Amino acid sequence: MNNWIYWLEELGHGANDLVGKKCANLGEMTCMGLRVPPGFALSLKACTDFMTLSGAMDEIKDYLDKAERDLDGVEALNEVSAHLRSVVDSKEMPEEMKNAVLSCYRRLCERCNTPDVAVSTRSAGAKSHPGQYETHLNVKGESDVLDFIKKVWSSAFNPRSLAARKRLGLPLHSDPIGVAVLRMVDARAAGVLFTADPNTGDHSKMIIEANWGLGESVVGGEAVPDMFILRKDNLEILDKKLGGKGRIVKCCDRGIVEEQTPCDQKETFCLTDEEIVEIARLGKVLEKRFGVPQDTEWAVEHGRAHPESVVLLQTRPEVIAKKADPLDQVINMMVGRFSC
Amino acid sequence: MLHDAYGLSFYEFDDEKDPKEYDVLLCDVVHGRPPMKPTYMGIGWYWYYHGVRYGAETLCLPSTHGWDSRFVNGYPYITAIRTTPEEAKAREPIFREKIKPFLENFDGVWDALKTDLLNTYKAAKESRGLKEWNDIRKLSNHELLSFFLDFAFVMNRKEGETHFIMLMAAYYISGMFQEMWHSLFGIEASIDPNFHTLMSGFEAMDITFTRGLWKLGRMAVDSGLEQVFKDNDDAAVIEKLKESEAGRKWADAYHEFLLEHGWRADRMHAYDYPTWLEKPSIGIARIKFMMSEEVFPFDANRERVSKARQEAEKEILTKVPEAQREAFALLMKGAQKAAYWSEDHGYYCDFYVGAMGRWILTEFGRRFAEAGSIDDPEDIHYLHPNEIRKAAIPLGRVNLRHYVEPRKQQHNKNLEIEPAPFYGDISKAQLVLRSDPTLTVSTQLPIVREELKADLYGAASAPGIVDGVARVIMRSEDLFQVQPGEILVAPGTSAAWTVVFSVISGVVSDGGGFVSHPIIMAREFGIPCVSGCVEGTQKVKTGQRIRVNGDLGVVYILDK
Repeated sequence: MNNWIYWLEELGHGANDLVGKKCANLGEMTCMGLRVPPGFALSLKACTDFMTLSGAMDEIKDYLDKAERDLDGVEALNEVSAHLRSVVDSKEMPEEMKNAVLSCYRRLCERCNTPDVAVSTRSAGAKSHPGQYETHLNVKGESDVLDFIKKVWSSAFNPRSLAARKRLGLPLHSDPIGVAVLRMVDARAAGVLFTADPNTGDHSKMIIEANWGLGESVVGGEAVPDMFILRKDNLEILDKKLGGKGRIVKCCDRGIVEEQTPCDQKETFCLTDEEIVEIARLGKVLEKRFGVPQDTEWAVEHGRAHPESVVLLQTRPEVIAKKADPLDQVINMMVGRFSC
Repeated sequence: MLHDAYGLSFYEFDDEKDPKEYDVLLCDVVHGRPPMKPTYMGIGWYWYYHGVRYGAETLCLPSTHGWDSRFVNGYPYITAIRTTPEEAKAREPIFREKIKPFLENFDGVWDALKTDLLNTYKAAKESRGLKEWNDIRKLSNHELLSFFLDFAFVMNRKEGETHFIMLMAAYYISGMFQEMWHSLFGIEASIDPNFHTLMSGFEAMDITFTRGLWKLGRMAVDSGLEQVFKDNDDAAVIEKLKESEAGRKWADAYHEFLLEHGWRADRMHAYDYPTWLEKPSIGIARIKFMMSEEVFPFDANRERVSKARQEAEKEILTKVPEAQREAFALLMKGAQKAAYWSEDHGYYCDFYVGAMGRWILTEFGRRFAEAGSIDDPEDIHYLHPNEIRKAAIPLGRVNLRHYVEPRKQQHNKNLEIEPAPFYGDISKAQLVLRSDPTLTVSTQLPIVREELKADLYGAASAPGIVDGVARVIMRSEDLFQVQPGEILVAPGTSAAWTVVFSVISGVVSDGGGFVSHPIIMAREFGIPCVSGCVEGTQKVKTGQRIRVNGDLGVVYILDK
């Protein structure tokens, strides 16, 4: 075994450096017995080995060395990024690695009782690595699974990640990424849960933001989601705010599609009270386990009964807005008020 | 057209250019009624708005350079010298730094400044060997002139700058707090009784002073002197007291009190009102007024008012979203200090420096009259500081009547003139007031709410509803006409009026912003108050029954 692939059950909180943060946390949640879609993770080493064995690494180094490209301009950055990504995407996965991935994928299809089961391929950056990597949803079939894993790897060369590494003085030619391959959850509704108010740091309240369909519309911030506020200690629902929910993201045949939200769905809350409470309950369990407030992605799956329908897709420490110094807050108000 | 101001340049109103330049100029009914005489304009008022400019420029307020001021018929009109958007932007970062100490430690800033001011007054007296009121007669003309110049240009400048940097900060802070209040609770702070509860229960120097008078009254009662006070008019009381041992002892105590606290007159900065030290009978009237009260009325209410405030503080904080709570608490504390300061500063700023002016000018008046330059010592108030300098050293060789006579005639006419409330475009008043909240100390626009069908609309300045007989008082000298239980209707009040708050059942004032005197005092004494009614003293007649609704800020005339 080359330490390339692990089932989520084999991973845990401590596996950050092995498979990336997201995969490690998914593993931890799986081991806790929480409802997480079944799946496996490709390690950072898988990424590095692919880059080395396929020759992509050398080509990239050469290109960066020879070109001595100026990455300052947006256009230059886009051009370099496009070239480097095409290098990665065009390489064949080494045979041994390909077989290992496909063997896991086939076992996943068996576990799910579905041939060519739909999966998501989610990027999992290692600790403290900057940038924004990519995640692909509703990927079906062996060939696509292999291609989209490579696309996650090549997202280390997207313009934003390149710019971030350059700014921080990190090597440009390599930034290994873990990949989670999870059974795709076709969500009736999805969103995020904050186990503390991210704006105020109020630990006594939990906040859920939710929309119909897949969670991407909430995470991406394109639609105004429904918002639910709960008391953390007794899970009482304190407030429900109906969001405009202008657009939703859904699975299509392959991949996803964004569309206008049907009128009747705009005007109704996308979660029932018992779903709201169940999501919050899971959040409390996570916060207790991880020791700090959590920012958790969840989904309510079509065609399953409550509470089995409520599944967790990822969790991470919540970023709480840095509280402005009250004195500065007051002065800001004064300046805003009287500068007319 | 240029409106003449007693023939003095600098103060005239240009009715074409000025309203165009400033949009609107508002009459300062609080300080400007009755109309001012030239000495008040040339010293007190001059430094008053110099101070506003100093405050605005030193703090680098983004919105204004301070006030500009003009005179029409002896009445002052004020407006803001608003900044351009470019200026506002450039001033903002400096303002951010300059305002910090006031938000962090308002008392600390004020304590240092007021100590410095008191020392300045004391040094001015002690360096000249002056203690008693009549000691000033010992000074040579030259010494008196030097004292006058020191007063007119050094002490007043210091007082004005201290006064207004504090006032600017205080009003910016309280204005901001009211704004935050409105945005959080959806109601104007000035008509929200909860807001006023939060501002109540603080002891300013004005109250300490009034308690001192009450204590003297109780001392008189305990020494068996009550009858002397009851049987004699104010001036005769002083004479009668000399006849007994107890009376002399009391008079000594009163004199000591006046040597420290008697540097005040009933109209600040005007110089034509006697000071308490000069005319001790002024204080006798106040003492009589309160001597039958076994407990100082403020103290009787104090615990209740402070407790209500503390409870209101706790409650209101629970209603503020957590993200804003600390900022709200900080601003609330600042606004409370600002309100308390507003009543504290009169003692150290306006009164003391004004009394020094009265002292010097009275002596010059006496010498000028004696030397034949004027007919009456009180004619000194029709002179500009430069004219006093002109006649001081060659005493008796300058005929000042050429200046005095036409101005005196004009002032007598002015007394009969009802001032226009504003010049220019009144629809711009909110814009002007918004750029400088200190303007509200002198002017305020009533919030008219037709649905209440009231006779007067103002600010709900102190909560409660009371029906009673109105007593319209235009000048503090007439204050003793007020009968217990009546409702005081006045253009505005100052610390000279504080004593009356212990007997009245309500207050209606024409002027007055949220930290002006009648409001603070009504809150402290726990009586309803509606302020900023603009035309209360015109619409209400003495003897009419009126209802003051301090919860809503409206007044009803019950028998029309």
